[in-house]
Amino acid sequence: MPKTDVSQLSRRSFLKLGAATASALAVGQFIAPPVARAARQAHLLDSNGSGYISTMCEMCVWRCGVRAKVVEEKVVKLEGNPDHPHSKGKLCARGQSGLMTTYDPDRVLTPLIRVGKRGEGKFRQASWDEALDLVAEQMLSIKSKYGPEAMVFSSTHNLSQPLFENLLYGFGSPNYGTQRSLCFNAMIVANSITYGMEEPARDYSQVKYIILTGRNLTEAISTSETSDLIDSISGGAKVVYIDPRFTKTASKATEWLPIRPGTDLAFHLAMINVIIAEKLYDAAFVDKYTLGFDQVASLTMSTTPEWAATLTGIEAGTIRRIAEEFGAAGKYALAHNGWRTSNFINSFPTERAISILNAVVGNWGTTMFPSSGEGAGVLGSPPQPAYPRISAQRLDGVPWMYPFVPLKIGVFQQLRDSIVAGTPYEPHGWFISRQNPVQSLPDRQKTLEAFQKMDLIVTMDILVNDTDWFSDVVLPEASYLERYDPLVPMGNQVYIRQPVIEPQGEAKSALWVYKELGTRLGLADFFQYKDEVDYINQQLAPTGIPLETLRLHGNATLPTSTGSDIYEWSTPSGKVELFSSLLEKAKFDPVPIWTDPPQPKAGEFYLLTGKVGQHTQFGTQNNQLLHKYQDVPRLWMAPEAAKSLGLSDWDTVQVTSPVGTVQVALQVTDAMRTDCVYLTPGFGHLSMALRTAYGVGASDSVLHVTYTDPISGGQALSQTFVSVKKA
Amino acid sequence: MSHKNIPLPERQRLRQKMIKKHNLANILTHWFNVASWLLLLSTGIAIISSPRLGITPIWWQEMFRNLFGSDANLIRFHYTIGFLWIFVILFNVLIGFRKYFVPFASHRMLLDKDDIDWMMIKPLQMLGFRKDKELPPQDAYNAGQKIYSYFVVLCTIGIMITGPVMVFKSLFPPIVKQIAQPIHFICVFVIVAWLFIHVYMGAIFPEEKEAFFSMFSGKVSAWYARAHHEKWYNQMLKEEMEWQDNVEKEVLESTHLEKTSGAD
Amino acid sequence: MATKNHYAFVIDVARCIDCRACLVACSVENNVPMDHTRIWVYDQGLQGTWPDLSRAFVPYNCMHCDNPPCTEVCVSGATYKDATSGLVLVDQEACIGCGYCVAACPYGARYIDQSRGVVDKCTACVQRLEVGLQPACVATCVGKSRLFGDLNDPTSEASLALKNAMSVTRLDYEGNGMDADPNIFYLNLPDTSSIKASDTFGQVPQSTLPRPSQYTLSEAGWKKVAIPLVAVAMGATFLAQAIFFTKQLIEGEKDFED
Repeated sequence: MPKTDVSQLSRRSFLKLGAATASALAVGQFIAPPVARAARQAHLLDSNGSGYISTMCEMCVWRCGVRAKVVEEKVVKLEGNPDHPHSKGKLCARGQSGLMTTYDPDRVLTPLIRVGKRGEGKFRQASWDEALDLVAEQMLSIKSKYGPEAMVFSSTHNLSQPLFENLLYGFGSPNYGTQRSLCFNAMIVANSITYGMEEPARDYSQVKYIILTGRNLTEAISTSETSDLIDSISGGAKVVYIDPRFTKTASKATEWLPIRPGTDLAFHLAMINVIIAEKLYDAAFVDKYTLGFDQVASLTMSTTPEWAATLTGIEAGTIRRIAEEFGAAGKYALAHNGWRTSNFINSFPTERAISILNAVVGNWGTTMFPSSGEGAGVLGSPPQPAYPRISAQRLDGVPWMYPFVPLKIGVFQQLRDSIVAGTPYEPHGWFISRQNPVQSLPDRQKTLEAFQKMDLIVTMDILVNDTDWFSDVVLPEASYLERYDPLVPMGNQVYIRQPVIEPQGEAKSALWVYKELGTRLGLADFFQYKDEVDYINQQLAPTGIPLETLRLHGNATLPTSTGSDIYEWSTPSGKVELFSSLLEKAKFDPVPIWTDPPQPKAGEFYLLTGKVGQHTQFGTQNNQLLHKYQDVPRLWMAPEAAKSLGLSDWDTVQVTSPVGTVQVALQVTDAMRTDCVYLTPGFGHLSMALRTAYGVGASDSVLHVTYTDPISGGQALSQTFVSVKKA
Repeated sequence: MSHKNIPLPERQRLRQKMIKKHNLANILTHWFNVASWLLLLSTGIAIISSPRLGITPIWWQEMFRNLFGSDANLIRFHYTIGFLWIFVILFNVLIGFRKYFVPFASHRMLLDKDDIDWMMIKPLQMLGFRKDKELPPQDAYNAGQKIYSYFVVLCTIGIMITGPVMVFKSLFPPIVKQIAQPIHFICVFVIVAWLFIHVYMGAIFPEEKEAFFSMFSGKVSAWYARAHHEKWYNQMLKEEMEWQDNVEKEVLESTHLEKTSGAD
Repeated sequence: MATKNHYAFVIDVARCIDCRACLVACSVENNVPMDHTRIWVYDQGLQGTWPDLSRAFVPYNCMHCDNPPCTEVCVSGATYKDATSGLVLVDQEACIGCGYCVAACPYGARYIDQSRGVVDKCTACVQRLEVGLQPACVATCVGKSRLFGDLNDPTSEASLALKNAMSVTRLDYEGNGMDADPNIFYLNLPDTSSIKASDTFGQVPQSTLPRPSQYTLSEAGWKKVAIPLVAVAMGATFLAQAIFFTKQLIEGEKDFED
């Protein structure tokens, strides 16, 4: 009789061999699938496969701590981890619905290889070996024919990004697309220039006066921050909310200012004008810790509330009053960097003005702090060689077109445009991990055009999303409840994402896929770990924290590094740079200067985009629980505008921009300025494999024109003008 | 010919002579029915707890809820007995359709002119009027019993339909379940209302005493049969006589056959 | 009815951001079918004139009334007010899903789960209370709008919130001889006459809350048809046999052969 390796046996064949000899508990321990077996050994689950496992949410990028309730090896409920600073025991609607993403009936469970024409959505199932061999072979063929830079890589911001970067930089390509230029590039570049950090931390516990510039915190939910904001409002803090749209945040604010889109900068320059003119600034802080106050003062001399009133549509008296109130609140005031309204080509100076406003009232150390930041810190990592030297230019124009955009962030829409234009060179393959550029990039038609130029498109996802629909090979990833991810410390804490259930079907973790693919590409040296657990053990090695402890508690305290002085900024001067010498050197305005933004022609509307609290970007619309509780996505329009166009509520309307047309139901609402319309992003999916989301709403990406801010590289998502008529 | 004209010795003879009225199956079915009804009625009443309807005293509800541990157990018991009852009744009807049910139904449900006359007279007589009037001859079941049968059969069907509607609750839309409840209740209590008369007549009313004991023995005296169910009695008599004639004829024929065969 | 515990929700409307985490959490925790919900967030809609607008969101579920109109109409006693916790619960094994209670609830807080043929509603997550957890909606409430606790315990979160509240509103229902005395206590509740259903779950029957208890035609069948009919029938037959029996007792048993 041939020797049988028990570990290789399936559950069924093991039972056939005669499990009756073992005790019931031992059988449970032994025949349980790997995740459950490991979780039992770590005392996370009992012998029935039930219990709570701490892990981390991935329904958005905020990463709340999660305690997953598991019953008989199935996850049945997710709770916010009370020990995690991002969740504090809470999860939002998306976090609560996470298990439905994992148990989505549309999950892709085996590797798929395209059989029909690209975009027909016809695939056949394949084995991992076949799929990975095919991908590796084609990637190497592209490399040998056109050079490694002919492979483009893109991925959203996530925990396994270091390994993704190993894959692309090890391969030798400089072309790396992230989603961040479509999001908040302007903010993080402005903060980096001013404070030397991407995003300072905010503390709402002492705040008395908050200005939210397009920061729709109750719909663009970051659980703990949203919660803190509501706490501070409840405690009597005054909130001024600036947005052309009356959002749910506006309903919580003390005051709503329906500003004309693209003029937030004028408002903030007027604020600075009043605060300086009326000497409401914190002179001590300004003197000691800032650079360039005088230049700011002289440049804002003319930006009076009266000047701003004509631009913004907000009365001069109101601006003056708010500036005085903000100045009076002093260090207890907080101006929140915007995300959305200021998504104009002037976003960057707007964000700079907001940073300056915070600095001059001296709120540093009271309502604003250095962010604890992310970074490898004291954690170890597997050894790896240096990346090969990359000489090719980046297709996304960083830094040769966009000198201020951080390399790891890039300008995704420019990357796509370079592919279409074929300059400075023609790429031939695109590896897309956990990303849906069809929905996220502006000008969807152009993205599809870029796809048609590719010899190879490989995607990795948990669903066949709109991008996977055009893919040649789809690699099924394990969902966040089914896998480990590399550890990333937060301050002096480290939190773990660990599997709570077995991966569905053939789904595999990113760490496994990148290693397997990397090995086939001859990059094994960049993936020196046996498996996920080994990777994390190597990370934990220098800290002396056992993985078991981390798994049990979900978090662990790292050996502390010496706390740095919060009054030191990593800017060239070491101060808060109101005036930036870096910008001056690059021949950009060193202090924010007003320029008139483009305006819609008669009969056109500003197309605004935003967030809803039930969805994250483009990736959650197929979640049945979120689908259940979402509002029907419609085009918002003011009653006056609708009346003049002869439109009424629920009419199907045709929305036309310079690059595309969609049809969608109309929502006539007082919540809009008459010169704007709003469309919730993320709907209007192309992929018919998303059976819940398909056919719901319209995609804003079809309408958006690509406008890139020359400094931050951010996409100006509110600068597209559309016309609307009855369909 | 009225039974009142029968001479006394003949009466005595008739009283001694027992005629079979009910077969064992009918007797068992009857008492099974009685037992089921006692259980179903007591638990059924206990289930109805709506304060707005105010039908059942709280102590009765609580007694049964405590006895069974919970509403759910009480209801489960009720419908389990209910299904047993439905099964036995339907089983009897279907299995004995030709042999028992058809004669039963024809005896009990076909009304003739005599029955109608009976109905005009009997209730008045029971109240002490029209003593002069002669009751028309009755079948094995009198007209009162026949009318009762109609209610019983219809209401039993009603109960058997509405009960399962409420048990197989996911198969029926809410409106059907809403209507089923009062119908179930009406069906049950229409039968219960008649039961007052039925039990009184069967067990207490002096003239019908034999009927009560017949539900155990299956037999009534020929005298009783002749007095209360003359038509049936005559029918029985006729059948008996015909049977005797047949026996005699057969005997005769057989002897004749023997003779002829002997001749062969 | 005084109960050992007096569980109640205290909901601060000013803190609700309509994020719907409570709705999803409830659906997951209680396996609510995809086409139903046990809890709601009612949307007041935009109030005022542009740009002086306001809008409030009113979280909403079974009010676990002190005198629940729903238990009054339940024929089988499947829906009941729990004597210990004071929660209004449904024994789904005893429930046949007829829906009398659904119509009777002034708050529209019940639904019929036709796949199981039973009525379902908020249970305040009793399964969680038993192990010392808060109801799922309360536990995850991002704005901390929802609080829950025992009002018989002066130190509970709910008791403290009520004690410190400037004003408290209950959407009490009085009518049909009922005074429901609901156990959701609202803080900062705006004018309720403007509350309307949101887009998502527009099956809420009426714009103003509470609405009058409804008694369905077939429930009226009980009161208007079944009970009188049965009473008359039973009365008549009982009376008849009583007369016979009395007569028999008076006249004595006569042998009918004479």
